[in-house]
Amino acid sequence: MEQVQLTLTVNGTRYSRPVEPRCLLSDFIRHDLGLTGTHVGCEHGVCGMCTVLIDGQTARTCLTFAVQVDGAEITTVEALGTPAKLHPLQQAFWEKHGLQCGYCTPAMLLTAVELLNNNPNPTRNEICEAMSANLCRCTGYQTIVDAVESAAAAMKGEAR
Amino acid sequence: MSAPAVKDHPIHRRWIGQSMKRVEDPRLLTGRGKYIDDIVVPNMAHAAVLRSPHAHARIKKIDASKARALPGVLLVLTGAEAVEQTGPLPCFANPPVAQYCIAVDRVRHVGETVAAVVAESRYIAEDAVDRIEVEYEPLPVVVNPGDASTSKGDAVLHPDRGANNIAHQRTLTFGSYDEDMRSADVIVRRKVRWPRSGAQPMETVGAIASYDEGTRKFTIYANTSMYNYVGWLMAVSLKIPAHKLNIVPTIAGGSFGSKIFTHKVLVLAATLARACGRPVKYVEDRLDNMTSCDNHGSDRIYELELGLKRDGTMLAFGMKVIDDYGAYLQFGVGHHGNAAAQLTGPYRIKSARIELTAVFTNKCQQGAYRGFGSEVNNFALERIVDAAADELGISPVEIRRKNFIQPEQFPYKIPTGNVYDSGNYGAVLDKALEMADYDGWRSRQADARKQGRYIGIGLASCQERSVFSSTEFWFWNHEPGFALTSSPESVNIKIDPTGKAFVTLYSPFWGNSPETMATQIVAEQLTIDPSDIEITYADTDQGLMGTGPGGSRYTVMIAGAIAGAATDIKRKLFKIAGHFLEASEQDLELRDGRVSVRGTDRGMTIPEIALQAYYFRLSLPDDCNSGLDARFTYDHPYTTQPNADRTDLGVFYPIMGHMCHIPIVEIDIETGQLTYLKYVAVHDCGTVVNPMTLAGHVRGGTVQGIGSTMYEHFYYDEQGQLVTANFADYLIPTLKEAPPNIEVGHVVTPSPFTEYGIKGGGEGGRMGVPPALASAVEDALRPFGVKIDTLPITPMKIRDMIRAAQQRKG
Amino acid sequence: MKPAPFQYVRASSIDDALAGLAGHGDDAKVLAGGQSLIALMNLRLVRPAVLVDINRLSDLAYIRQENGTLAIGALTRQSAVESSDVIARLCPLMAEAIRFVGHRPIRNRGTVGGNLAHADPTSELPAVAVALGATFVTRSQKGQRTIAADDFFVAPLSTTLASNELLTEVRIPVWPAGQGWAFMEVSPRAGDYALVGVAATLRAADGVCQSGRLVYSGVGPRPIRVAKAEQALVGCSSGEATFREVAEIAAGQVEPSSDFHATADYRRDLVRALTRRALMVALDRCQKGA
Ligand SMILES: Cc1cc2nc3c(=O)[nH]c(=O)nc-3n(C[C@H](O)[C@H](O)[C@H](O)COP(=O)(O)OP(=O)(O)OC[C@H]3O[C@@H](n4cnc5c(N)ncnc54)[C@H](O)[C@@H]3O)c2cc1C
Ligand code: FES
Ligand code: FES
Repeated sequence: MEQVQLTLTVNGTRYSRPVEPRCLLSDFIRHDLGLTGTHVGCEHGVCGMCTVLIDGQTARTCLTFAVQVDGAEITTVEALGTPAKLHPLQQAFWEKHGLQCGYCTPAMLLTAVELLNNNPNPTRNEICEAMSANLCRCTGYQTIVDAVESAAAAMKGEAR
Repeated sequence: MSAPAVKDHPIHRRWIGQSMKRVEDPRLLTGRGKYIDDIVVPNMAHAAVLRSPHAHARIKKIDASKARALPGVLLVLTGAEAVEQTGPLPCFANPPVAQYCIAVDRVRHVGETVAAVVAESRYIAEDAVDRIEVEYEPLPVVVNPGDASTSKGDAVLHPDRGANNIAHQRTLTFGSYDEDMRSADVIVRRKVRWPRSGAQPMETVGAIASYDEGTRKFTIYANTSMYNYVGWLMAVSLKIPAHKLNIVPTIAGGSFGSKIFTHKVLVLAATLARACGRPVKYVEDRLDNMTSCDNHGSDRIYELELGLKRDGTMLAFGMKVIDDYGAYLQFGVGHHGNAAAQLTGPYRIKSARIELTAVFTNKCQQGAYRGFGSEVNNFALERIVDAAADELGISPVEIRRKNFIQPEQFPYKIPTGNVYDSGNYGAVLDKALEMADYDGWRSRQADARKQGRYIGIGLASCQERSVFSSTEFWFWNHEPGFALTSSPESVNIKIDPTGKAFVTLYSPFWGNSPETMATQIVAEQLTIDPSDIEITYADTDQGLMGTGPGGSRYTVMIAGAIAGAATDIKRKLFKIAGHFLEASEQDLELRDGRVSVRGTDRGMTIPEIALQAYYFRLSLPDDCNSGLDARFTYDHPYTTQPNADRTDLGVFYPIMGHMCHIPIVEIDIETGQLTYLKYVAVHDCGTVVNPMTLAGHVRGGTVQGIGSTMYEHFYYDEQGQLVTANFADYLIPTLKEAPPNIEVGHVVTPSPFTEYGIKGGGEGGRMGVPPALASAVEDALRPFGVKIDTLPITPMKIRDMIRAAQQRKG
Repeated sequence: MKPAPFQYVRASSIDDALAGLAGHGDDAKVLAGGQSLIALMNLRLVRPAVLVDINRLSDLAYIRQENGTLAIGALTRQSAVESSDVIARLCPLMAEAIRFVGHRPIRNRGTVGGNLAHADPTSELPAVAVALGATFVTRSQKGQRTIAADDFFVAPLSTTLASNELLTEVRIPVWPAGQGWAFMEVSPRAGDYALVGVAATLRAADGVCQSGRLVYSGVGPRPIRVAKAEQALVGCSSGEATFREVAEIAAGQVEPSSDFHATADYRRDLVRALTRRALMVALDRCQKGA
């Protein structure tokens, strides 16, 4: 199968890999790079599990071919924090019980990162608007919104 | 077994009752969860399956030559080939219904596996799937459950099981039903339709199977459950000895029942691995899962009757129910055992009858979904209670209150024979009414109506049975079959030489909080700090019996197991400490990780004792072995045999939770759309181990219940095509469809039969929403005289009903 | 659910893209945001032999005002429209409609051109384009042409674009002062395609409607403009009573079909409700603007 050389930056690390043009970015991140924090739930664009940041903007990686992001900068959940040092959003999700099975959590976190980057001071409605991009089958969403709200407050305190 | 002794529950608790942050979370939050599709086994190949486009057809011929010729393809396996090595899948029905991991000569629903491919990548495997040519002979398609009894000839799905499509038919009568109905002043009748929906967790089902030539043994990684209960049944399917199969659990990205026993996927992966000599990963994609997950939910048509005295006293509850099981019957009609566990709800109803007809149709078979069929009974019962209230002119609150089983009547035996352990239904109702400001909303509703606004106030008082006993697997059968009575849960606790606790669980994480529960309970029992406790999951090689989560049992059962193991450990701690401190064991106490002589400052910490226990045999009491560990298998706390004619099903689901849901909604009568003005959910599931995670189950379950009630539908058309086989058409609620604030309240009525008085709460919300929301919609539309008896209540259906009502009025 | 193999062409110029498309007929497809195309490819409902990726054509991503016309490059991301002050000022109807298109991550990649070229009749933007009398600029190796929005949409997922032709720009007359607008829709869930959507504009003065446009998503094979309803507005007093009548006319005029999610009757109900409400909002904005 024809392959194309792909060079990109993921979580600050540059990778150069041959890929088949049809390889979905979700599969490339998960299986070629082994960054399995990005999940896959439907592969037809609805659930949002596969969300990452491409050049700082959220995107569904199941609706993106890896070849398309040649030269781009990708951020996945692995870049946020570690179990020993959680990102404020992760900390807030933990404290507010914003996850149960955890499958949607990476997508939810990255969606919140984009939101707070664009709007450090969101209203609850704005949080709902942004976070409604992804399904969650476990939590009923309320505690996810609580978590983003509390992270926004915490991050403001931290930044200044 | 008679009723077990009533337990005393200690009042002072350090860890139980705390909203402790979950132990599971840090790795999940950072993308380090290791779900099934994250696991890589060296030299692993990838499988994809060819799904049947037909609902019902004979497989005449399969030509896989083009698929086999594709570079990168390792194996194409048809059902006829697979069956030479692998037998039918486990089935709990008796007589069993033969189902294979690849359909052998006939497909019975759209999406059923016709052939499987193994290739170097999933992409190539799917390319190969495209090239398999199949000749089908279409057979008559059965979609309407009402047709089952008259199906004949080729329309019969399983000719070996009878001449039509009736899968199981049986009437069970409990108590003096006919007499009670005769003595009723009114008999309220209602037809109710519950359509199929399903759990659809965000992660599908998968397995990675490998075969080791050296040990001649299979290892299967899977996001499954019940492997330490009935995992060996998969060895039977694979025709290998049970000790040559090791199932290694992975965490699951949600289950809600649907991963309770994912045998088809495991057996398929192992069959493929054996046939191609390489480890094989098969993870369902969403289409595989939606069309063929074997876990669609209940699909029932009810004719209900409720006999009452004119003053609203309920006497007898009966039903004819047709349940559309789809193409197979893996769990028999266990769903109706679940329903029978709480058939008469929270009410003092004297007698009951179920006339059950379970049927085969050309649809994906039923499995487990949060409630396992008991949530459907909640809907049916609460709908007819509402109908009775209307007919008798009693308020929905009063008819319920009047009939509630009273706190002093527990343990209470309901007509089916099941016993409810404890409860205080009036207290739950009162709390919900208060939190909802029910009376205030009644007057606001009246004002709003004057302005042409349609506010509805719903109410449902429902049971949540928890901790099933395995008798319910078979008591519906005419011939019981394998009439098992065990359903235990185990734990192993090891205190290592440094005093850390290693806790081994025998059931998986599937989105619940087993590690957090175990940590809190171990910390409570042994007074060890949670940060010194490590939780792991055993595979089947290391496995003790574990029935797993499901039926809201895990927290109750693991608490019992931990208490058992901790007792043994404490005994040894005391023995060794007593020996060193030269004190009698009765004078010792365990506090904050230290065994000390009561009233003195003399003591030994757990690490100090542990070190002695491990390395200083000659200093230990004579009858003490080295080491400090214990394992315990905790049996179901209270279960009894059903009687022979099944007029009494015995005790099989006695740990009874309760809930009251009050949604307050407004309906836009022009578009049929609904908005939430308020949502209150009060639950009583006994002693709460962790209020935060319990509230999580209530809220998450509530939104799932909203899905089942308002949006989700596995809809099959006349040809048996699943019209809603994707996430764009199968409408799982997004954040915007969820109530902005689900207010959760708790009432605590401890169980007298379980450790700490805990009851299960995992299925919670989903079991209360459908009747509560249906009654809210009905209430909002009261001016139109609309009755809600079928789900989902989409805006379109609301409009249809309003339009019809307006036309009736002219 | 993985796409079938294809030949990948990364276009570095419009000519490059046109060359890539040429000679393959229907076997070649343009890849813009991929938010519709890749989903269909994953399901293997679409299997192009050649995929011409136009995402590097940054000269096709722009929003600008050119003598009385708003020009939007085909590759402009939907989220850029959403956050554009120019759009908010010069095309508030589109600014309002764009938020109904999927969710933010989809709009971050999905393009205006891709959305229009995809021609889903339940989509919001085609209705907006028709309501505003947009023209579409296209390029092929034969040269450039312009197509009126009204003539562009043929049937579900079908337009008058030739298979070797690229949509390059959407041109919309700059918003006339004093014109009110509203976009409203009902969809099964937030972010889903519309069951029914309405793009409405209204001009009214001194309590009288002068003109208006009413174009619907979800009630036919393409965006449906209901001229009879528009005409019924003209000269009538601006207010709920008129809008109620107009809504009734619109509901009677449309001929929606039934599917699993909505029957024709329900769609008519939605046309009736949304038309009146959209006109009320449009009137309010018209009055505020005046
Ligand atoms: C979950 C989900 C929800 C969505 N909800 C909505 C919604 O509510 N409303 C809505 O309108 N859309 C919705 N969309 C679709 C979204 O708007 C798409 O982005 C859009 O339809 C296509 O734009 P695209 O740039 O992604 O095009 P692509 O997917 O790349 O292409 C779509 C089609 O257009 C052709 N094409 C693209 N660009 C050009 C061009 N410049 N010239 C010629 N042909 C071209 C392609 O060849 C292809 O046939 C949704 C998508 C998803 C995944
Ligand atoms: S996996 Fe990408 S949106 Fe569902
Ligand atoms: S936490 Fe399980 S899907 Fe969101």
